[in-house]
Amino acid sequence: MQPGREGEQSPRPASYPRRTISRLHSRHIFHAYLFIAPVVLLFGLFRVLPSVQTLLFSFYKVELLKDRLTFIGLDNFISLFSDEIFQKATVNTLTYVITIVPISAFLGLVLAVLFNAQFALKEFFKAVYFSPMVTSTVAAAMVWWWMYNPQFGIFNVLLRLVGLPGQPWLMSSHMALPSIIIFSVWKNLGYNMIIYLAGLQAIPQQFYEAATIDGAGPVMRFRHVTIPLLAPTTTFILIYDTILALQVFDQVFVLTGGGPANSTNVVVLDLYRQAFERYNFGYAAAEAMVLFLFILAVTILQYYYSRRYEVAY
Amino acid sequence: MRTFWAPIGRLGVYIVVGGVAAIMILPFYWMVITSFMPAPDILSFPPKWFPTHVTFEHFVVAFAKAPWLSYYWNSLVVAVGSVSCSLLFGLFAGYAFAVYRFPLQNLFFLLILGTLMVPVQVTSVALYIQLSKIGWVDTFLGILAPNFASAFGVFMLRQGIKQIPVDVIEAARIDGAGEMRIVLTIIAPLIKTTVATVAMILFLGSWNDFLWPVIIINSAGLRTLPVGIALFKDPYGNINYGPLMAATLISTAPMLIAYVVSQKYMIRGIAMTGLKG
Repeated sequence: MQPGREGEQSPRPASYPRRTISRLHSRHIFHAYLFIAPVVLLFGLFRVLPSVQTLLFSFYKVELLKDRLTFIGLDNFISLFSDEIFQKATVNTLTYVITIVPISAFLGLVLAVLFNAQFALKEFFKAVYFSPMVTSTVAAAMVWWWMYNPQFGIFNVLLRLVGLPGQPWLMSSHMALPSIIIFSVWKNLGYNMIIYLAGLQAIPQQFYEAATIDGAGPVMRFRHVTIPLLAPTTTFILIYDTILALQVFDQVFVLTGGGPANSTNVVVLDLYRQAFERYNFGYAAAEAMVLFLFILAVTILQYYYSRRYEVAY
Repeated sequence: MRTFWAPIGRLGVYIVVGGVAAIMILPFYWMVITSFMPAPDILSFPPKWFPTHVTFEHFVVAFAKAPWLSYYWNSLVVAVGSVSCSLLFGLFAGYAFAVYRFPLQNLFFLLILGTLMVPVQVTSVALYIQLSKIGWVDTFLGILAPNFASAFGVFMLRQGIKQIPVDVIEAARIDGAGEMRIVLTIIAPLIKTTVATVAMILFLGSWNDFLWPVIIINSAGLRTLPVGIALFKDPYGNINYGPLMAATLISTAPMLIAYVVSQKYMIRGIAMTGLKG
């Protein structure tokens, strides 16, 4: 490489490697900051700042119209813990989460296993199962609100057709929350199925062949090959669905508005009412902090679980 | 044994898959059928599975009661605005995080991803107060504020850009292309599948978003489709299911048609990224 080096003294080729790279490097830092600036700025203003302010406001009485902030320490949180409606909303939210997450994960897995085989019209059925996912929750809930109608709704009409008594569905404080859960299972089932299906298809076929050679039947193969190898998918689905279920709002707003007698009130709905109907912004901020703590707890759980599987894989 | 059970197993699969499919599709069917039925059919017992004759009267009522075209327009403006901003800013930020090394890189990246942990459900109160101070309540800018950029978008685009060999970028630099031009004319076309998937998921999320729009919108003229349909239900509590279902059909039809046309692609995109709007 020595020959010709002298001759290539002139501008670009010889000097390219070192000089240009160092020049590019210094330009990179400028460009790097320039390129992340819009996102950092927008997130700082509309995501990070409001997060910090939510924490701050939870210790204040906020009067927006008078433009006044009064520090009241932990008063918001103390009132929260004796607020029966908020307690009810928290219990309802957790009940909703604890019921819907395992049910829709389990059903999603069952359907994914069925769909992992080949059969006619498979893509059509897949599309049908997934269709509630792309529909707006508000619009879909509106249709279910009509179907849940105790007098003329299709559910009770069908029940009466086969000689069973009609149910009060959303009108009863015992049945309203389960009715919302049924709706949400319908709405989210396709999503879990698709994610599980992707997980199933990622399992190498050799594992099944090896298990078969070792004499494992279909049930054994499912229990000892499929389930363990799907663990990361299951963790993802459980965590992700839990975080979303904690934020449930749209369907409750449309189907029951939190009633009857707060039997379907949930944290986000109560927060919405406190802030935007009663203008108790500080109090609502405290409720938002409680919601955040739940999400944080689940995220920390996810962190430990995903680390465990990173090692396993 | 195997040959004896296989057809029965196959039949069982069809019964389960078909049965569940019927349940999944029933609400859509019921929505369509109710919106085209004459009023007496809707309340008849036993139920009518097909209308005695097709009527458009409910659509006339629905259109008379609410400005659906304006709701469409608003939803479209918000979705296109948030998707294009998120993509543009996301491309540049994704490129910076994928290609450059710079001080505090990880901190900024974690900060951006960290916002995923604090959804608008948590920040809505403070965000509303903040926007009310700068006069953004009840404006398009207000609806867009938390959706100008997307952490999910930045992450996905960074992953996509990481797959591109550095040589491509180096070659472009030697040819004299500036960094901005590289991002827009070389990187973006190379990861167009990722861009399209991110765009689709963000569009879907924005189109169906309800909580933040219902908080920030006061005037009827700014309502998006989900807000419009939610408030269509009961101004005075008198329930008329025909027009209500017609309204629901009006508001869901575009997305359902888009889904029917491109369902394979949409399902694959969501399965690939593992995320919904």
